[in-house]
Amino acid sequence: MADPAVMAGGFSAIVGRSGCGKATSSPAENYQLARRRTLQVVVSSLLTECGFESAEKATVESLTEMIQSYISEVGRCAKAYCEHTARITPTLSDAVVTLNEMGFNVDTLPGYAKRSQRMVITAPPVTNAPVIPKALIAGQKRTHPSHIPSHFPEFPDPHTYIKTPTFREPVSDYQVVRERAASQRRDVERALTRFMAKTGETQSLFKDDVTAFPLIAERPSSIPYLSALLPSELELQTLEETDSSEQDDQTDSENTPVNNLNDDPGADKENSVLLAGGVVPLVKVSEESMIDNPYLRPVKKPKVRRKK
Amino acid sequence: MHEVKMNRKKDKGFESPRPFKLTHQVVCINNINFQRKSVIGFVELTIFPTVVNLNRIKLNSKQCRIYRVRVNDLEAPFIYNDPTLEVCHHESKQRNLNYFSSAYTAAVSAVDPDAGHGELVIKVPSELWKQGDEMNVLKVYIEFSLDQPKGGLHFVVPDVEGSMAERGAHVFSFGYQNSTRFWFPCVDSYSELCTWKLEFTVDASMVAVSCGDLVETVYTHDMRKKTFHYVLPIPTAASNISLSVGPFEILVDPYMHEVTHFCLPQLLPLLKHSMSYLHEIFEFYEEILTCRYPYSCFKTVFVDEAYVQVSSYASMSIFSTNLLHSAMIIDQTPLTRQCLAQALAQQFFGCFISRMSWADEWVLKGISGYIYGLYLKKTFGVNQYRHWIKEELDKMVEYELKMGGVLLHPTFGGGKDKDNPTPHLHFSIKHPHTLSWKYYKMFQCKAHLVMRLIENRISMEFMLQVFNKLLSLASTASSQKYQSHMWSQMLVSTHSFLKSISNVSGKDIGPLIKQWVDQSAVVKFFGSFAFNRKRNVLELEIRQDYTSSGTQKYVGPIKVTVQELDGSFNHTLQIEENSLKHDIPCHSKSRRNKKKKIPLMNGEEVDMDLSAMDADSPLLWIRIDPDMSILRKVEFEQADFMWQYQLRYERDVVAQEESILALEKFPTPASRLALTDILEQDQCFYKVRQGACFCLAKIANSMMSTWTGPPAMKSLFTRMFCCKSCPNIVKTNTFISFQSYFLQKTMPVAMAQLRDIQNLCPKDVLNFILDLIKYNDNRKNKFSDNYYRAELIDALTNSLTPAISISNEVRTVDNLNGDVRLILEEITRSLNMEKLLPSYRNTITVSCLRAIRMLQKNGHIPSDPSLFKSYAEYGHFVDVRVAALEAVVDYTRVDRSSVELQWLLNMVQNDPAHYIRHKILSMLGKNPPFTKAAESPLCNEALVDQLWKLMNSGTSHDWRLRCDAVNLYYTLFGLTRPSCLPLPELGLVLNLKEKKAVLNPTIKPEQGPDTTEMTGITMGVHIPVMGFTSSLDEGLITMETVSSVSMSSGVAPPPQGLKRKLDSVVGPLGSSSPEPGQVLQEEDTSKKFKIRFNTVEEDEIDMESPHDSQAFIHHHLNILERPSTPGKEPPAVDQAVLSLPVTPLPSSFGKESTSSSKHSGDHHHHHHHHEHKKKKKKKHKHKHKHKHESKDKERDSHAFSNSPASGRSVRSPSMSD
Repeated sequence: MADPAVMAGGFSAIVGRSGCGKATSSPAENYQLARRRTLQVVVSSLLTECGFESAEKATVESLTEMIQSYISEVGRCAKAYCEHTARITPTLSDAVVTLNEMGFNVDTLPGYAKRSQRMVITAPPVTNAPVIPKALIAGQKRTHPSHIPSHFPEFPDPHTYIKTPTFREPVSDYQVVRERAASQRRDVERALTRFMAKTGETQSLFKDDVTAFPLIAERPSSIPYLSALLPSELELQTLEETDSSEQDDQTDSENTPVNNLNDDPGADKENSVLLAGGVVPLVKVSEESMIDNPYLRPVKKPKVRRKK
Repeated sequence: MHEVKMNRKKDKGFESPRPFKLTHQVVCINNINFQRKSVIGFVELTIFPTVVNLNRIKLNSKQCRIYRVRVNDLEAPFIYNDPTLEVCHHESKQRNLNYFSSAYTAAVSAVDPDAGHGELVIKVPSELWKQGDEMNVLKVYIEFSLDQPKGGLHFVVPDVEGSMAERGAHVFSFGYQNSTRFWFPCVDSYSELCTWKLEFTVDASMVAVSCGDLVETVYTHDMRKKTFHYVLPIPTAASNISLSVGPFEILVDPYMHEVTHFCLPQLLPLLKHSMSYLHEIFEFYEEILTCRYPYSCFKTVFVDEAYVQVSSYASMSIFSTNLLHSAMIIDQTPLTRQCLAQALAQQFFGCFISRMSWADEWVLKGISGYIYGLYLKKTFGVNQYRHWIKEELDKMVEYELKMGGVLLHPTFGGGKDKDNPTPHLHFSIKHPHTLSWKYYKMFQCKAHLVMRLIENRISMEFMLQVFNKLLSLASTASSQKYQSHMWSQMLVSTHSFLKSISNVSGKDIGPLIKQWVDQSAVVKFFGSFAFNRKRNVLELEIRQDYTSSGTQKYVGPIKVTVQELDGSFNHTLQIEENSLKHDIPCHSKSRRNKKKKIPLMNGEEVDMDLSAMDADSPLLWIRIDPDMSILRKVEFEQADFMWQYQLRYERDVVAQEESILALEKFPTPASRLALTDILEQDQCFYKVRQGACFCLAKIANSMMSTWTGPPAMKSLFTRMFCCKSCPNIVKTNTFISFQSYFLQKTMPVAMAQLRDIQNLCPKDVLNFILDLIKYNDNRKNKFSDNYYRAELIDALTNSLTPAISISNEVRTVDNLNGDVRLILEEITRSLNMEKLLPSYRNTITVSCLRAIRMLQKNGHIPSDPSLFKSYAEYGHFVDVRVAALEAVVDYTRVDRSSVELQWLLNMVQNDPAHYIRHKILSMLGKNPPFTKAAESPLCNEALVDQLWKLMNSGTSHDWRLRCDAVNLYYTLFGLTRPSCLPLPELGLVLNLKEKKAVLNPTIKPEQGPDTTEMTGITMGVHIPVMGFTSSLDEGLITMETVSSVSMSSGVAPPPQGLKRKLDSVVGPLGSSSPEPGQVLQEEDTSKKFKIRFNTVEEDEIDMESPHDSQAFIHHHLNILERPSTPGKEPPAVDQAVLSLPVTPLPSSFGKESTSSSKHSGDHHHHHHHHEHKKKKKKKHKHKHKHKHESKDKERDSHAFSNSPASGRSVRSPSMSD
């Protein structure tokens, strides 16, 4: 069931790795391949023992798979037994129990091992064990407190469960900061406008080379005054940052969300008057009954008989 | 008669020019269709006849389609005829602006409500005639509709998805001066007041805002619409009625609950902020006028595509939505406040108090402008106020010197010379609708300046008392029930205003009024001085130039302020006829005391470094007319050190600005130092410092070879605005101090004007500006930096210099200069960023477009208008469009491109936004593709025809636009026939000789045969119309036609006095393509007129005999002037009128011509008394000839003296005899 996911994961992992770190992944694969090859040799020799002269590759492959499964199952099962008895290393008895469990008569094993026609297989080629990539060590791992035995697993890295401090020496030189901010902004702007120009329609100032100094084509808007008059989101954000304290004082709860979006109750001198009054938004709801403005009055129902 | 009455000396009170009095009007608009842009409704006017047998009612109405008219429930026949639709008829090939102007004036006069005329003539059913005796009420009910109105109402319907309300569709009324007739039939005069009931049925999602109190809002039966009922109990002129309908967001003013603000959807936050100080303006005006705001409510509506920024109507004002701004915007804030203050000032004077006649307009504009000035002074400070006054004065003086005078109170019909009080202008100032827009602006400017002069004379206290008196009289009158004589108290006239002044102050301001109000032009002084050491006397010489155009002679007191070592002294000198020199004794000895502080005018005592001054003279500086109490231009000569002292130590901003201007001529290190010191002074008014920046740049350029140190202002800017630790990086923006902000904006722009020896912008400066852009950081700022960034782009633009190019080299990317490449990169990046993060009012786009045009003009990049054309299209923000159009206009001139010119003219005719149309024409006028003085391939017959058509008939829906077109025509071709039109052929000349008719060669009339033929045709076309319209005149028409033809055929533009007799114009003025609204009734009578018309045609032919196209024109003008209600005027009236025939031609003509024209005038007079129909005709013919001869003489002398180009028809005056 989980195979496709595994496969997909593995695939992407391989693809991902092939890009960045060949050195770490290759040995692991080699290791796997070498083991598999050994198993194939084993299968082949067994077949020869049994008197086959040749075998189809697919057959060998299937048998290899079976034997691998069998061995894996033995290992898995043995491990389970050992862990069941609160150990971490399987013992012989675990293996025996396992084999028994799987319906194998262990007593026949020594006899089989000493059979005369058995073939001697050369040791598998020595390959480097896969290098386990070094985990990112961030911060000091905590040591076990005294009541925990040392064989218990170590604590994970603190960053995985406490916090992740990043360490970068802050640049304190004002000039550099400004310089960097300016160039960064310029780069972003340039990249963004170039991207927009490349992906959309453009206008050009030069006839000979339309790609030089491309201008994003203007687009007439149906309601041009909106974008020209309303402050942009960015500006609003700036405003919020610069005087968030004043922002808090404002009770905008009565406003519609749209209004809230664009409302920029700055704290400049004009507005401070407004703030002092503080009734602007309230007027509409809570004081409506007190304000007698004809535009706020409800619309009347038509009279039954209206003069024409 | 009416004109005579306007003459305020004889004015006793207001007399209506109409035979009835309007007391109440109902306007009901049942349906407003945004999809079709149409309006349906009716009006009902309640009128009281003031004469017995009232049989005609004349109303104003333009472009309305009228379905029916009923008077007291009886169907009434009516005629609808608008002569201004097409000013000159018969496609005559006359392309002469003089001719057009007089015809246009005549057309406007013909329907002038101030003279009792109108486009709509309703015949009162005969059943009701008798009722006139009992002075019974007549109710005139008119059903009308408007379909896609081109003027009067403007529909804004954005092309997006959704319902009309979701789309933000709205409609509002607009117009220049009295333009209400464009959207409903009314008496469109500022002097006809009545009470109002206004009803508007609109979609349930919309709000209808109009004048008066909203009484109730009622749903219609289907609940899909609602009706807004307004009542305006204060008598108000129809011209002050307005309407706007749209899905407005409503904001009740938190301080004044009777004030309501309206804006388009989504703009409510901006509205809240922008309106947050309106109550202060209210308080200010109410306090100084000691008078409550006259209406019970006030509404402000902010609309898109507004015609003007501010327009005031009774109890409401319509503003451009572009005035709204958020709290982040600095630059727009004062501008918006000023607009609000103007609007509110006009509520008191202009809406509540209306005017008696056009000649009294200056009083209203003057008072509202003046109290607005007081608001400026209070809110923005005395410096700002004085700066503004100086600015306005300079602007006005410049205009008057260039264009000739601006006349505030024109009087007409008084006498010969008065008939055309402004012969220097190419338009008539008799009507607001014939004025050039620029002239009108200057008129307003002058009006408030004159009010200030009156204030100087009688003190502000008295001035405000006068205003209060006017207002309290008006408010007493307004509360009266219908009593027509009381309501007229709400009208201000020059006479009543001056009378109040004299009553209140007891002072005679006659000379002042005579000089500045009754007379046009300004004073031009030249001053110089010498110090006589022996006598310790300052010998001041003040000369005047009163001969050039736009100048007048000044006689009277003038104030001179002399700053000496011992203090500042005011002297009042008397400017007299012949005395130029004035001796002013000095108070201080030249031997100066060491270390003594010098007292200034304001009492302050300062230390000065006196080493620069002349050791023998105690004079530090001298100022002539420091208080600007004369409308003048002063050119004063004093030594450079005196200007420098004046700049440094005089505390008046006007003096500082004057000295800055003067210092441009003294590029010395001392001037440099003085300017730099001013720049650094925090206390100094920021506009002075801004001025100093530009002056410093100019001086630096003049001192290029001797300049030491870094480029001007660079170190100053660094010190003021850059970081202490790294001087090349500007501080992050805070803009807390607005003074510094403005200086920070200006300095780079001024610096970019610096040039090095190769006449390039110094590399240092350019890099400096590029760094400013690069390091600009607004993240921590609560204000937007859009204006600042825009000005930095402007600075880049200023730094551009012409490219060095090999001739005909094509501009390519590769040969782009390195610096220009950097500039271009900044510009493209900024322009592109605007697409993603648009700035307020797209200021940066505007600057970028200007920069690109400048790059093109200087030959750095290929000149190409296509970019600008795309930005100029409808759908961009208006500022962007204007900037782009400006570039296209410039391109048109530089590249002489007829394609672009056509494109522009096309836009003038088709663009939905009226402001843009107006702007294009005025920009073309300011930066014309060619002028009358120069030859150009663009100047061709087709263009002449096109422009002619534009002003003749293409702009009839918008007075302002028509006048703009006239202005442009004048700029391009001048007053006379455009030179690009084909010359008259030789055959014609011979033909003319036979007839002994001499033509002004510049007029280039049509060939004789041609004209005849054409006239025949056009007259033929017009017969039906003619016949129809003259139907009302019954049998009298023939006589009238003939007499009027003869009367003025020889006189160039029709005599003023006659015009008032003009009625709703008949005959040829009914255009050949009738308006939709023209409804022809009374069909039964139409047959008769053809017969009668023949007599007219005879005259026509008779006219042709001299083969004088001028006569032809006059004939038409006369038809136009033919009264349609003959016999109504008592003979005495005619006499009075006729005694004033006038030639508008300048008096510089020969004696002979003057006398002959007088002669002809006498003839008229004499002739007109003949009431016999038959005899008359013969005599007329006779007289015609006679008159044409005299006319020809005139013209000939004109040609001879005025036209150096008379080589075209070599002819001496003697030949004509």
